[in-house]
Amino acid sequence: MGGLNTSLLIGMQALEATQGALNATSNNIANANTTGYTREVVQLSENPMTDSGNEITGGGVSMDGLQSIRDELLNLQIQKQTSLQSSVDTQSSSLQQIQSYFTSNGEDIASELTAFSSSLTQLSATPSNAAAQQSVLVSGQNLARSFNTTAQGLMSSQSEADGQVTQTVAQINSLTKQIAQLNGEVSQLTASGQNGGTIEDQRDALVQQLSSLTGISVTQSDGGETITTANGSALVMGSQSFSLQTTTGSDGMKHVLDSNGNDITSSIQGGQLGGAIQIRDQVVPGLLSQLNTLASQFATAFNAAQAQGYDSNGKAGQDFFTVPAGTAGSAAGISVAISDPSLIAASSDGSAGSNGNVANLSAALTTALPSGQTPAATYSSMVFQVGTDASNASTQSTAIAQNLLQLTNQQSSASGVSIDEETTNLIRFQTAYEAAARIVSTIQQLSTVTLDMGSTQSY
Amino acid sequence: MRVNPSMVPDILADMQQSQAALNVALQQVATGKSVNVPSDNPAASANMVANTIETGQVDQYTQNVTTTLSSVQTADSALGSVVSSLTQAVSLGTEGANGTNNSSDLQALAQQVQGILTSVVADANTSYQGSYLFAGTASTTVPYTADSSSASGYTYNGNNDTNSVAVGDHLSVQVSLPGSQIFSNSSADVLGSLSSLVSALQSGNTSDISSATNAISNALNYVSQQRVTYGNAESQLNSQETYLQQETVSLTSQATSLTGADEAQAATALSQAETDNSAVMAAAAKVLPDTLLSYLAIPS
Repeated sequence: MGGLNTSLLIGMQALEATQGALNATSNNIANANTTGYTREVVQLSENPMTDSGNEITGGGVSMDGLQSIRDELLNLQIQKQTSLQSSVDTQSSSLQQIQSYFTSNGEDIASELTAFSSSLTQLSATPSNAAAQQSVLVSGQNLARSFNTTAQGLMSSQSEADGQVTQTVAQINSLTKQIAQLNGEVSQLTASGQNGGTIEDQRDALVQQLSSLTGISVTQSDGGETITTANGSALVMGSQSFSLQTTTGSDGMKHVLDSNGNDITSSIQGGQLGGAIQIRDQVVPGLLSQLNTLASQFATAFNAAQAQGYDSNGKAGQDFFTVPAGTAGSAAGISVAISDPSLIAASSDGSAGSNGNVANLSAALTTALPSGQTPAATYSSMVFQVGTDASNASTQSTAIAQNLLQLTNQQSSASGVSIDEETTNLIRFQTAYEAAARIVSTIQQLSTVTLDMGSTQSY
Repeated sequence: MRVNPSMVPDILADMQQSQAALNVALQQVATGKSVNVPSDNPAASANMVANTIETGQVDQYTQNVTTTLSSVQTADSALGSVVSSLTQAVSLGTEGANGTNNSSDLQALAQQVQGILTSVVADANTSYQGSYLFAGTASTTVPYTADSSSASGYTYNGNNDTNSVAVGDHLSVQVSLPGSQIFSNSSADVLGSLSSLVSALQSGNTSDISSATNAISNALNYVSQQRVTYGNAESQLNSQETYLQQETVSLTSQATSLTGADEAQAATALSQAETDNSAVMAAAAKVLPDTLLSYLAIPS
């Protein structure tokens, strides 16, 4: 039979449950701005009714626990987009730097090519003038230097990307270790039927961070999450993590090895690591090889034109430019071979005043190289390529950022803490707590009244 | 469906976007260029390479025209003075050949012609900015020096080559003739005929005097013909200068259309971006601090 004590018990349960709900609300408000926090909702359930003879009494309320509101599918999509985004961003920032070497600034290859060809045209008018000869020599040196600085700039971008590879791999290894550990804790909790809650939040935040470092694929299993790189090399399996390694390859660059020692450099995609590898192994080498070909073929063509004429001393023209044998390293290594301006082979008949060979020298700048284009056209197609790459990367980055914003909004609409909602809940739970407390005090009064019945003494 | 409770990411993205637009607009107004790095417009940047080189070339061609024009004019005026000297020599020779002169008259005439010869040699040795104009391509050598073993008393030290100066991508103008062609040509030898007139006058042989005079007037015609080359070069250079000026204008306008910013458009874009930016910030300032808490009474 239900009595006052039953009501007291129900009131007490209500106080406890409401306290739990108030805790959840406070915790949500407290973590409103915590990265990776997923809002928690208190799970209340009614207790079974007690059936005592002909009387059925409600069993009150009990708090089952907390439920984190998360959408795993959205998380996966966000991870994927994050990988893409950070890959494109890494490339974009390198390309911004790379395109500055190809921007007209008075010392770029186009400007120096202009000055060099102007100086040759001037030499055509005044072939025996020492100042005109000096100006050809100086602008030739400047042109060679602009090749050198552009090549050095490209190589420094490349070695920067190379440094990034080593750094990123170290970060990946530290993250996978932490994730594996949290994975173990989560599976213990879920095995005992508890909400992963904050630990799962932490793990999700770390996985998200990992996805910004390299493209990953995540699968859920009983033992927790299994994380592999895009090409399937294991990073985390349950509570076990697998470290990536770096080693210096034959090309002098850092190569990435999986835990079994296989070279997976070329198959890594996405994330900072994928972006850095793309810049280091594709973009920069492509530009460098074009630049080297240009430097080497141009120097050869100009030297050939030089050999057709005679210098101011009536001697056959000698090489104007020195380039390393073979194409590789030509842009970084090109230099002017002569230091005496009178050695410029302007003359076609051996007399100092002849300008007959200047036309040949100028033609070396305006005639198609063996590569099929004139030096200026070759350079301008490189400018076009760099510009297109940089502009594509930043367009892509903007597009992915929009997509990612959309996804995080979606995630936030499920998992984000709303202060307004929590405030409303706070009022609800405040009222509920007050009401439950009132039950307790009312029952107490009733108990007193009951005890006072038939007694002169007041309790 | 539950609405995303946090407007912060959206607002941040909007702010970033409007800030980026503001930066671009500001840069365009500040630099006057719509293309500052290749990625702003890859095709225009690539075309600018050719434009820059061509602009540099056209500038230099224009300077070449100026330099060359002065040297051609100097050469032309030297030849002008040769022509008038020769005209004078012809009249002296005609006077010497009329048979009325006594020996001392002829000696005086011979001296005058000798003077003319010297001045013609000086004209043939004209230099412009240190280069001898009539030495062929051997412009550092004095073209004519006295040489007693030579019939004319002078020997040619230059060569028979000529220079053509580049004044356009596909145009070079021949700017000089070698002295050997103008002054000591075998068919119309200026120096030789003058020097034979001097000897004829000195010897008093009337028929020699008149044949030498004929030779001079023949050479005079020839030199006048040769001057045409210089006249042609001058007019070619002048018309090329006009062409190059037009070319400069069209290259500049090409550069402007490739990479220049339309000032009015850039200024409008800037003020648009400013308005956008302040609107986003004003909205953020209004929306962000507002929660239910603002409307609840503080519990007493």
